Amino acid sequence: MNPAQALRRPARILVPLLAATLALTACSSTGSPADTSDAAAEGGWSYTDDTGKTVTLDAAPERIASYADYAIGLLSYDISPVAIFGRVDVASDFRFDDYDISDAAIVGNSYGEVDLEALAEAAPDLIVTGIYPTDREGTLDLEGPLYGLADAEQQAQLEKIAPIVAIEIGGDGLEVVESMNSLAEALGASDEAVATAKEAFDAASADLQAASEETGLEVTQLYADADGIYVVKPEDEPETQLYGQFGVDFTNLNPDGDYYWDIYSWENVGQMMTGDVLLTNIEGFQQEDLAAQPTFADSPALKAGQVHTWQSAALDYASQAAHMEELAEILRSSVKVS
Amino acid sequence: MLGVSATGIAAARPVGAPGKGRYRRSGPVLAFAILGAGVLIAAVVSLMLGSNLIDPVSVVGRLVDPASDAGAIVWGSRVPRTVLGLLVGFCLGIAGAVMQGQTRNPLADPGIFGVSAGASLAVVGGIYVLGTTSVLATLWLALAGAVVASILVFAIAAIGRGIASPVPLAIAGYAVSSLLIAVTSYFVLANETTLAAYRIWVVGALSSRQLAGTEPVVAFAVVGLIFAAANVRSLNSLSLGTELAQGLGESLLRARLVGLAAITLLTASAVAVTGPIGFVGLTAPHIARALVGGDHYRLLPASGLVGAVVLLLCDVVGRMIGGTSEVPSGVVLTVLGGIVFIVIVRRGRMAAL
Repeated sequence: MNPAQALRRPARILVPLLAATLALTACSSTGSPADTSDAAAEGGWSYTDDTGKTVTLDAAPERIASYADYAIGLLSYDISPVAIFGRVDVASDFRFDDYDISDAAIVGNSYGEVDLEALAEAAPDLIVTGIYPTDREGTLDLEGPLYGLADAEQQAQLEKIAPIVAIEIGGDGLEVVESMNSLAEALGASDEAVATAKEAFDAASADLQAASEETGLEVTQLYADADGIYVVKPEDEPETQLYGQFGVDFTNLNPDGDYYWDIYSWENVGQMMTGDVLLTNIEGFQQEDLAAQPTFADSPALKAGQVHTWQSAALDYASQAAHMEELAEILRSSVKVS
Repeated sequence: MLGVSATGIAAARPVGAPGKGRYRRSGPVLAFAILGAGVLIAAVVSLMLGSNLIDPVSVVGRLVDPASDAGAIVWGSRVPRTVLGLLVGFCLGIAGAVMQGQTRNPLADPGIFGVSAGASLAVVGGIYVLGTTSVLATLWLALAGAVVASILVFAIAAIGRGIASPVPLAIAGYAVSSLLIAVTSYFVLANETTLAAYRIWVVGALSSRQLAGTEPVVAFAVVGLIFAAANVRSLNSLSLGTELAQGLGESLLRARLVGLAAITLLTASAVAVTGPIGFVGLTAPHIARALVGGDHYRLLPASGLVGAVVLLLCDVVGRMIGGTSEVPSGVVLTVLGGIVFIVIVRRGRMAAL
C-alpha cells in the first residue's frame, strides 16, 4: 500500500477544496529540516528528525514503537519494535511475512487508531512515524498531525508516552531511504548491517537499470476506480522518483500542475494510454475491472495483458531491493506495445 | 394504535389528503408535461456534456454511427450512465414516495429499512469471504443483501405485531441497519482489500457503470414498480391514518407488505447499480408533491420523474466541475440535495404534507 495515495484518496472528491486547503497549509512551512544523528556529548542520545525536531534522551532508546512502514525498515536491521501501529491490519500485512513480530504489541490497525493504553503498556522510549509534504516544494505541515495519527490531540497523548520522531516521505526517494538508515543507525544498526543492505540495494538497482535499458519500456503507475484513472507523477512519489534515477521511464505527461497525480475520468483516459506496462495500485481496479471499461479498451498495455498489481514498498534498502527485482522481472517479461 | 401513529414521527396532517383544491386547478397534466420535458432535456444534456469536451455535432454523429465513436466515449460512457441514471433516479424517487407514504414521515428515506446497510454488508462480505470485486458479482450481492435485510426488518417488526404502525418498522430498520453497519465495519477494518473495494463502492456514482449485465436489476426494478403501483390505493388510505384506513377496509398487513416489497426492490436495484445514493429518495417526493399534490396516483410517477431528472443533472454537474476528472454524482447530490432540502423546508412545503 502506498500511504501517500491513501492519504490523498479523499482528495479526489473535493479537488478544488483540497487545493485551497493546501494553499493555506503551505503558509505553515518551516525551514528545511536537517538529518543528523549523533550521540550527545554527555553520553546521552540525541536525534534530529526530518521536521527539524531534536529529541534528546538520557540513553539510546531501546524500546521503539513504530508506524508499520518504518517498523519494516527497522526490522530489516534487526531492530524489533515493541509496538507497531498500521493503517491496515498489521497481523495480516504480508510485508511483515519475513519478520517475527510476535513479541510486538499491535496497537493500531487503521489510520488514526492508536490504543494509548496498550502503547503505554509497551513502554516505548521512542515513537517513529512519518510526515508527507503537502506540495512539490516539500512543504511540511507541522501544525497538523504526523502521518498515521488522527489529530494533534492524539499526537499530544502519544508524546506523553514517548517522544516522536518523523521520517519525511516525499520527493527524492534516496533521501527517504537515507533518512531511514540514519534513524536505524542512531537506534543501533551497525555499519556492517547497513553496508550489507546497501550491497543488495545497489545490485538490484544496477539490475533494474540494465532491465530498463534493455527493454526501453514506458511504465505507467496508476490507481483506478469508478471515477477514472489516477496517474502518479513520477517526480512526486519517492519510489518512482528513485526508480526514475535508475533509468525507469515512467509515464510523465504533465510534470507540473496538480501535486502527486493527474486524474483522468473514464471519458478522458485516452489521454494517458502511452505506457507499455501498467502498474495498478493494489487498492483500486485491477486488470479485469480495467478491461470492463469500454473507454479504456484501446490501451495497448491492457490489450497486451501487461498489467501488474503493484504495492509501493517501504522505503528502506531491503524492501526496495526486493521491489526493484520484482520490477526488473516485470520489465523483462514485457514487450514494447506503444 | 391511534396514539402511536399520532406521535411525533407521523406527519401532523395525512399525506395526500384528498380535497386540496389549490393543487387540483394547477393541472397535473401541465406538471407532467413539464416533468417529461425535464427528463428529455436532462437526457440530452447528459449525452452532450462530459469531462471530455466533444462538440455536440460530433456526439450526434457518434450516436448515429457507433463505429465512429473513437475511444467509446459516447457509447461506452455517456449512453450507459444516462440510461442507468434515469433508471436509478426513477426507482429512488418512487421508493422515496412510497416510503414517506408508508411511514407518514416526510423525512423518511428508503435507506431506513436497512436496504443500503444490507447491500453494503453483502458487498463487503463478498469481498472478504469470496474475494470477489467484479462489478457484476458486486451487483448481485448488493441486490441480495438489500432484499435479505428488508425481510429481516419486516420479520422483526412483525414478531412484535408492529405492522399497523410505521414506528416499529422504522425502529426495527434502524436497529438492523446499525447491526449490519457494525459487521460491515468489522470486515472493512479487518482486511485491506475489503476496505479498498468498499471505499470505491460506497461513494455512489454513475461513472464507469455499464449496461451489460444489468438485466436482472432492470427486472427487479420492474417488479418493484408493479408493487408500487399496486400500493397506490393503500397509500392514499393510509394517509388518512391507520385507524381510518382499516375502517375503509384496508388490510394493513397487505398494504405494508406490498409497500415494503416495492421499496426494497426499487432501492435494491438502485443501490446495486450505483452504490448507495442519498437524497434522491428524500427530496424527489417533496418536489413532486409541490408540483402535483399529495394524491399517490400522481405523486408516485411524478416523484420518479423528478428523481430521474435530479440524479442525471447532478451527475452532469459532477462531470463538469473536475477538469479532466469528475466529482461522483453521490457527492454532488449530497451537497446540492442538502441545499435544495433546506430551501424546501424554508419555503414551508413541509406543511403541505
